[in-house]
Amino acid sequence: MESLNVFILIGAFILFIGLLLGSLSTRIGVPTLLVFLGVGMAAGENGIGGIQFEDVDFAFLISNLALAIILLDGGLRTRLETFRVGLKPALSLATLGVALSAMFTGAFATWLLGVDWRVGLLLGGIIGSTDAAAVFSMIRSAGVRINARVASTLEIESGLNDPMAIFITVLLIDLLLKPDASWGAETLTTLIQQFGVGALLGVGLGILLAELLLRVRSNEGLHALLLCTGGLSLFAITNLLGGSGFLAAYVAGLVAGNWRSGTSDNVLRSMDSMAWLAQSGMFLLLGLLVSPKEMLDSLLPGLAIALFLMLVARPLAVWLSLLPFGFPRREQGFIAWTGLRGAVPIVLAVFPLMSGLDQSRLLFDIVFVVVIASLLLQGTTLGPMARRLKLALPPAAKPLTEVGLEGVDDQFITQFRIEPGSRADGKTLSHLVTPLIRPVALVRAGNSLPLEDNPPLRAGDTLSLLASHGELEQLSEWFLSSTVALRRFYGDFTVRANVQVADVAMSYGLAGLAEEELALSLEQLFRRRHSTTPVIGDTIDLGGIRLRVRAMERGRVSLVGIRLPKG
Amino acid sequence: MRVRELLTPERTHYHLHGASKKRLLDQVAQLAAQGNPELGEQQVFEALIARERLGSTGIGEGIAIPHCRLASCQQPVGMLISLDEAIDFDAVDGRPVDLVFVLLVPEDNPEQHLKTLSHLAALFNEQSFRDGLRGANSASHLYRTAVDSEAELQLAS
Repeated sequence: MESLNVFILIGAFILFIGLLLGSLSTRIGVPTLLVFLGVGMAAGENGIGGIQFEDVDFAFLISNLALAIILLDGGLRTRLETFRVGLKPALSLATLGVALSAMFTGAFATWLLGVDWRVGLLLGGIIGSTDAAAVFSMIRSAGVRINARVASTLEIESGLNDPMAIFITVLLIDLLLKPDASWGAETLTTLIQQFGVGALLGVGLGILLAELLLRVRSNEGLHALLLCTGGLSLFAITNLLGGSGFLAAYVAGLVAGNWRSGTSDNVLRSMDSMAWLAQSGMFLLLGLLVSPKEMLDSLLPGLAIALFLMLVARPLAVWLSLLPFGFPRREQGFIAWTGLRGAVPIVLAVFPLMSGLDQSRLLFDIVFVVVIASLLLQGTTLGPMARRLKLALPPAAKPLTEVGLEGVDDQFITQFRIEPGSRADGKTLSHLVTPLIRPVALVRAGNSLPLEDNPPLRAGDTLSLLASHGELEQLSEWFLSSTVALRRFYGDFTVRANVQVADVAMSYGLAGLAEEELALSLEQLFRRRHSTTPVIGDTIDLGGIRLRVRAMERGRVSLVGIRLPKG
Repeated sequence: MRVRELLTPERTHYHLHGASKKRLLDQVAQLAAQGNPELGEQQVFEALIARERLGSTGIGEGIAIPHCRLASCQQPVGMLISLDEAIDFDAVDGRPVDLVFVLLVPEDNPEQHLKTLSHLAALFNEQSFRDGLRGANSASHLYRTAVDSEAELQLAS
């Protein structure tokens, strides 16, 4: 009995400390994953805890469960609208990109470590995928908003590339264990089967799960649990049928999150705690599993491989994979730098350990060093990098809450806090209200004020409004603490995107424009100059003035800002 | 060009009644043609309306800077108008407008005029400048506040 309680105490206490420090990590600018790993390592054999933990099977089980839940959660949070701009480049990055980066890194590792080329390539595959959770928690905590093309490409890439990395890893382990196994047609069939079955079951069972949950109408906490257990069942079924369970989990999340009016904010919030539990549990355990002392031997080769991956392999793979999509240089640079490695590589590094491969301990230690180096070096510099590459959009005011109304499409109740100095500060309620934006409540110092007498808004108040998503986007500008930054970014004047280039040229006396551009609308001009779909923040130069996409409506540019040459 | 080079006391109007965006631009054209007959009331009105059709020149915070190029215009002409009652100008932030600076420029030398326009927008983005103009209580006060503004000196430096 006593040993049971000691066991519970140790497990729960480590988790408790990990979560406690993890929740503080964004405030001190350290990636949360790193904190979990650190706590795990501190509790481990070389740390203050001194716990001997060598149970690879248990770690493997937990990692698989956790990863499936993290991917499910990532899918639930991905809005299908983002696929419009991000899907194709993300697919290219997730397949071709991963293969290329695995090849480059594999060649380098083979040369550096003097190992069999298959072991080198295995290492390349293991560290081939980027981490969705790490990428997004870092971008969010860096306090920058990046343009929709880059953000959705990165987001979808990190969801899709795990199956590819897993596939390469499993394939190479097979190859190393059975050296006489043949390559060729069979390999390709396996690849197609993994992706095909994974995607099909993900969509099919995802719809089933979503429909089922819509009918059950459970409370949010239970809803999240049903999603998780349903998702895990789906993950296992897909694996049993020879598909990629990880892909199925991500796709099912995507389907469930966008089915009908999508997952409500409250369900997502309770999913949050499941994702936290999955992440913290997995990383704490993996931190326990490594022995930092032994890892030191792999520090230098690990760092060399990490640097090669960050500075050569990933940029090259990104550049080649994105060639057909006309991404601007700066965006490619940022995508290359945001190749954050996280949970998946470490979990994949357990695969060779499980199969009892030679050198698997070396691989595990090196992967660990690469992940930590990537989190430390790339993770902490994403914000400055986005600003340096001029990819950061002006910050948007984030609503405190956002709840979709049941039974009606695209109507949300959102609550904003009125920041001092924001545009809303000091205005009366009627300034904000339009037929499409209805006030619901104004709360000041704990009291809900009557709305009929058009109260003035003050800093510190919270205002709840009922509106569609499109309206809310425009509305959020009212709650920003600085509108000067907004104007500096978009320019002083605004024109509609459906006006002719010729009319703008006429109004501003722009000379030297190409004849064939004059007949276009501004929207068409953006599409012509950028070979990809335009997103908010895209710029073009036109005869001495700079145009910037300021607002989009239903996938089309609606407003364009004009920046004039400085006087 | 600075405000003092663009503006005259005669072209500064205190507490005009705007009524509506269109009515206001109509009055602007009238006033502009009174002071500079060569401009032609109809032409000014049509050119300003043509620019507004591209998108409102209401830049936010209650400010509008209607502007256009005119063949009949010999040198840049500025007009400063404060309204007795803010009017809907379809501005970018949806706020009604109560301060208007009109800029009419010749067709030649467009680069220089773009810089002037940019300077005006930057100037009106300064809270202290706007506050000064809103605190004025007569046309001459409005004029002096505009041309002697500290904000403009700081922008220039």
